[in-house]
Amino acid sequence: MTEVYINSSSMIPIDRYYEYDIYDLVVEAYKNFEGEYDLNNVDLIIVANAYSQKLNNSSLIAPKIAEKIGKPNVPAIKVDNADASGGAALLAAYSMIKSGMVNSILIVGVEKQSDYPSKYLNDAIATNLDDYMYYNGISSHSIAALLMRQYMKKYNVDRNYFANWAIKMHKNAIENPFAYLRFQVDLNTVINSQIISDPIRLFDVGARADGAAILLLSSNKTESSVKINNIVSAQARYEFSPSLPSVKMLRNKLGMKFTEKTGIEIHDSYSIMAALMLEESGIFENGKSLYNLDSINVNLGGGLKARGHAGGATALYQLAEAYMQLIGSFKGKKANVDNYLVISSDDLGIVSYGISLSR
Amino acid sequence: MKISPPQVWRNKRFMYKLTASKCESCGHVNFPYSSYCAKCGSKNVKKIEISGKGILESYTVSYQSRDGHEKGLPSVIGLVRLDEGVEIVAPIVDADLDKLKEGVKVEATLRRVYTDSYNGLIQYGIKFRVAEG
Repeated sequence: MTEVYINSSSMIPIDRYYEYDIYDLVVEAYKNFEGEYDLNNVDLIIVANAYSQKLNNSSLIAPKIAEKIGKPNVPAIKVDNADASGGAALLAAYSMIKSGMVNSILIVGVEKQSDYPSKYLNDAIATNLDDYMYYNGISSHSIAALLMRQYMKKYNVDRNYFANWAIKMHKNAIENPFAYLRFQVDLNTVINSQIISDPIRLFDVGARADGAAILLLSSNKTESSVKINNIVSAQARYEFSPSLPSVKMLRNKLGMKFTEKTGIEIHDSYSIMAALMLEESGIFENGKSLYNLDSINVNLGGGLKARGHAGGATALYQLAEAYMQLIGSFKGKKANVDNYLVISSDDLGIVSYGISLSR
Repeated sequence: MKISPPQVWRNKRFMYKLTASKCESCGHVNFPYSSYCAKCGSKNVKKIEISGKGILESYTVSYQSRDGHEKGLPSVIGLVRLDEGVEIVAPIVDADLDKLKEGVKVEATLRRVYTDSYNGLIQYGIKFRVAEG
């Protein structure tokens, strides 16, 4: 049976790159590969990206990226499942290698989100909502705010409970040289920050900016390989109970056991999504996850909240960080782990991918 | 942002009316209308027109806009449970923020959503307000 390995990763720090276009971001991330790995035998390039048509006026970006990195004749395709594009791209690549169709795939995640004021970015992200909500001017922030309010009522928690997430993520990000927001925050800073959509404040929202990250997948095992044990996908609309059925479905499909040697990467687009994901995946009891963050190895690079949120490329950052933790090369906060769960999702958890990795 | 008349015309079933689908197999009400049930997958659905009356279960006051919707700030976005049993997320208008409460009755109302200053077109849509009485 063919096994699938992550053999290398590369990324650039998430930031606002006003001097770079979407292709420059990829080139900068790709430079780290050159000279270290044999990239002459890459069979396919898969690009994970969500908003290039709306934010960058660029279509057909996969073959253009292939050209820009000096591989004009390597077939290249784009996979788009909004902010879960990275998870979808990994599923596609894993399936193609597993089937024997190809042997080696470069997965490129890229998103350029900082060229316009946030109202334009909000509009692009809102295209993920259903037609009624999109045409009536509703944003994803408001949906997350309603989920958060429902959670606060159901579990009788206040704003301070959610601040635990931002405080922890910023603490983790300080040690990560690739993180966007490398500074510590305290309770006052978080709960007095700008209101986005009440009760969601600035520090409850994943920090969107520009980024590019790359993984090299292959059926060949090397000394620095990490095995992809399994990848499952699930989709189901969030419920205002509140719950994320898609993440609960991942838990059942993966059947993964969590131990103190398990690292976890979740899609914390909002602090409420972090709480729901940690609970729906079975790691914590409902209504209590954010009280217990010191007991698990979660989002050690700072998560979307502080490492930064690179849209459709975010899962590539999550996977690259998990990969580096497992081979011991992560330059940020390290954990003694031997397996990893990565959850890639869209911002409201409608579609989710659960990826199990081990050394 | 530009308004597309064909899109407005095509979307009239959720912009000017609240057309939903009710699954004859599992009873789930789906809004906007869908030919297949979003819960059980059945195609045994019928088209229904929603009354537009319901209860405000929860709401958020939003201070960040989307392109083309700047004039509505701050905007109130409600989680509305309609009498037909479906939950929708919708804009709440004419709300006195000091008096707005969860649990009040709300009703649909047709309002301007935004104006395309380039072409002079206006797009309307169904929002909600606190019901009288």
